[in-house]
Amino acid sequence: MGALLEVRQVTKIYPGVRALNGVDLTLRAGEIHALVGANGAGKSSLVKMLTGVHGPDEGEMRLRGEIVRFSSPQESLAAGIAVVHQERNLIPRYSIAENMFLDRLPTRHGVVQHAKMREDARRWLDMLEVSFDPATPVQRLSVAHMQLVEIGRALSLNSNILLLDEPTASISESDVDRLFKVLRRLRDQGAAILFVSHKLEEVMALCDRITVLRDGKNACNDRPLEGMKKVDIVTLMLGRENAVSDLGVRSQRLGERRLELKSVTTELGHRDIDLYVRAGEVVGLYGLVGAGRSELAKAVIGSHGVITGGEVLIDGKRTSIGGVLEALRKWRIGYVSEDRKGEGLILTHSVARNTAITIWHAIAGQLGLVSERGEESAIRPHLERLDVKMTSLRQTVGNLSGGNQQKVSVAKWLAADTRILIMDEPTAGVDVRTKGYLHQLVWELADSGVAVLLITSDLSEMIQLADRIYVMNDYRVVEELTNSREYDLMSSSIMNAIQIDNDRVSVPKPAAALA
Amino acid sequence: MTNLSKRLISQDWFPLLLVTLVGALLLAIISNSFLSAYNLFVMLRILSVTSLVALSQMLVIAIGQMNLAVGAIGGLIAILFGGMLEVYGLPIGLAAAVGLLLGLAAGVLSGALVAYTRISGFIITLALLFVFTGLNLGITLSIPFYKMPQALKDLYDSYLGPIPSILLIPVLAAGAVAGLLYYTRPGRHMLAMGGNPAAAELAGISLSRTTIFTHTLSGGLAALAGMVAVARLGTAEPTIGADWLLPSFAAPVIGGAVLEGGYVSVTGTMIAVVIIVLITNGLLLARTDPFYVQFFLGALILATVLFNRWRSSVNVASPETTSGRP
Repeated sequence: MGALLEVRQVTKIYPGVRALNGVDLTLRAGEIHALVGANGAGKSSLVKMLTGVHGPDEGEMRLRGEIVRFSSPQESLAAGIAVVHQERNLIPRYSIAENMFLDRLPTRHGVVQHAKMREDARRWLDMLEVSFDPATPVQRLSVAHMQLVEIGRALSLNSNILLLDEPTASISESDVDRLFKVLRRLRDQGAAILFVSHKLEEVMALCDRITVLRDGKNACNDRPLEGMKKVDIVTLMLGRENAVSDLGVRSQRLGERRLELKSVTTELGHRDIDLYVRAGEVVGLYGLVGAGRSELAKAVIGSHGVITGGEVLIDGKRTSIGGVLEALRKWRIGYVSEDRKGEGLILTHSVARNTAITIWHAIAGQLGLVSERGEESAIRPHLERLDVKMTSLRQTVGNLSGGNQQKVSVAKWLAADTRILIMDEPTAGVDVRTKGYLHQLVWELADSGVAVLLITSDLSEMIQLADRIYVMNDYRVVEELTNSREYDLMSSSIMNAIQIDNDRVSVPKPAAALA
Repeated sequence: MTNLSKRLISQDWFPLLLVTLVGALLLAIISNSFLSAYNLFVMLRILSVTSLVALSQMLVIAIGQMNLAVGAIGGLIAILFGGMLEVYGLPIGLAAAVGLLLGLAAGVLSGALVAYTRISGFIITLALLFVFTGLNLGITLSIPFYKMPQALKDLYDSYLGPIPSILLIPVLAAGAVAGLLYYTRPGRHMLAMGGNPAAAELAGISLSRTTIFTHTLSGGLAALAGMVAVARLGTAEPTIGADWLLPSFAAPVIGGAVLEGGYVSVTGTMIAVVIIVLITNGLLLARTDPFYVQFFLGALILATVLFNRWRSSVNVASPETTSGRP
């Protein structure tokens, strides 16, 4: 059978990162093709290429055998490739019909024909076997139904290639079934569908073939799913050669339990959260996207999501943390955000200001004034320790490289002299050297007595750095493992814990898991 | 009948209409002169200008931006219009056409600047506010053009049968804007852009083109308002437009517009203009210190915004229950 869309040996280089490195992908009519990979493996870069957001640096894309090159999302759409993004892209107050035909509203003598539009929309909605009134404003629909509207729009464009990016991330189990029914029918009618997901059970249930990406390369290309098991896919995703690089030996001088959560529940849906971090210990919190790790961290520091039950203990004493300010000033808990640009830094401000922001109250003079000199002398040692490459302390943070930005967002917590440091994806999007540097730093911090709670989706990083690992799934802690630092052993126990838990909860899915 | 009244009550602007009627009733009771033909005529005169100003701003609000230069464009076109009539003796129709074209051109300029520099419309139109006001004062040396042709005043005071001609201005303008927003492609694209710019762009709508189109219309309406103001005052004063900014935002906001864009109500805005005129007029009739006009206007804006917030929170509270498969 001929390929509808072929991607051959594409390479995409972003500053400092080779996001895609000679990747192949083949989509055929009448097939649902799975694209899976761990975070940062290159899935979204590949989708961006197919949808015309970024062009490839090397390699080619063929549509029905002919070489194509898209320089905008509109061109990709015009070529018959429709994409349903992970987040919804609809005009909230507009009707279903109008959202479907927004770029080609039917008019007669310049007057928009709302009635005709609703009739046309009806046809496509019938095809999806849904019975919404096309005049309903989309803001009244649930997320799953909005997704169906977007699929309807894709169909109305006569696209026979449909890309779905994590379509089940925010919809309920019964809506997933409904979506799958629709997708299978479209496949049987001859559409080529790319299903990007990290939910392996769904991939196994729905897809015909699979392409796995790892570190920007094909871990497997266009392989039939028949006969494959979940564990095979996991192995492809994580790789075996991903050995743990040598950081030396961790000194095991652990102190008392500094932060402890007992049966904590939150309004976001966390349940059964039991964990502790000792002084001088690096504790990992591993889970797939959506497991509720960052959300838990934010609830603990009082930034977002109220703790509704259980106990939070600091130095063995039961406490309640009233807010971020109290977490920092009174309990000296720092949080390195995973969202460096959105939450970690003020990009338009200088390195000095970004670093000193946590200690302004401490270095302010008698009138409450903060002098530049005071700032600089307080933070310089920390920036030097992290070897931040900058022209001066007054350089704008936004102009630094990603790696150096990340160092600054860590440095401000060093300056604050925190006793408990929560690091959320500390090496996301940084180059290999900075990564090594930050790894070294995590251990140094622990050696100096800080209790470190490390959240990372990079499994090899987790196994390399953590002393103990808690595995989270579906807003619960499902496993606690002492890290042997043997990659194969650890990765399979972690993945097993997640899969077992998924199998357990896959039938009745509590509403809280959708939060 | 019941069907019609049901539909009436369900409209967003229905509470506003009630407020207006109650206000008018109160004024009629308090003051004998409120319903006098002369007073109604005075109010209509204010209405003719303010409604155009409000619609001019409302269009820009619809796409999620603002136009601080509404008054400056209106003022500049007003004195150019007056100058064309007094100094060059152009016929009224021709002068009005040129004035309208210049207003549209001013809109193209601000729209293109916003669209292509991607600098916030707030800053661009703030700068243009000063540019246009400066041109206005430079040309006039802040001396009005006094000698407007009698024909202009006659036209302004004329009747079409029993209806004063100036009543047609707000009615026609509102009708045209409503038709544009709900029944034409560019109008639908404007509200789509205001509602979710990212989604609109992904659906193939050009945000730059929509921005320029919107500012152009806004400039045209501001120019019309400026020329109507000249007819109303009988002189082309350089200060025309200087006090438009507050009502230009007040009317659409009281009328229910979402400042982030995506939703405006033409009917609501027009009722709000009437309310603003009533407040201004009513306080005068009640012999209140006219300085308190602004106080009441501010209080009204706060009250309506809080009311709308409350109402939308009631409506949105249970999206799932209304989403079910019909």
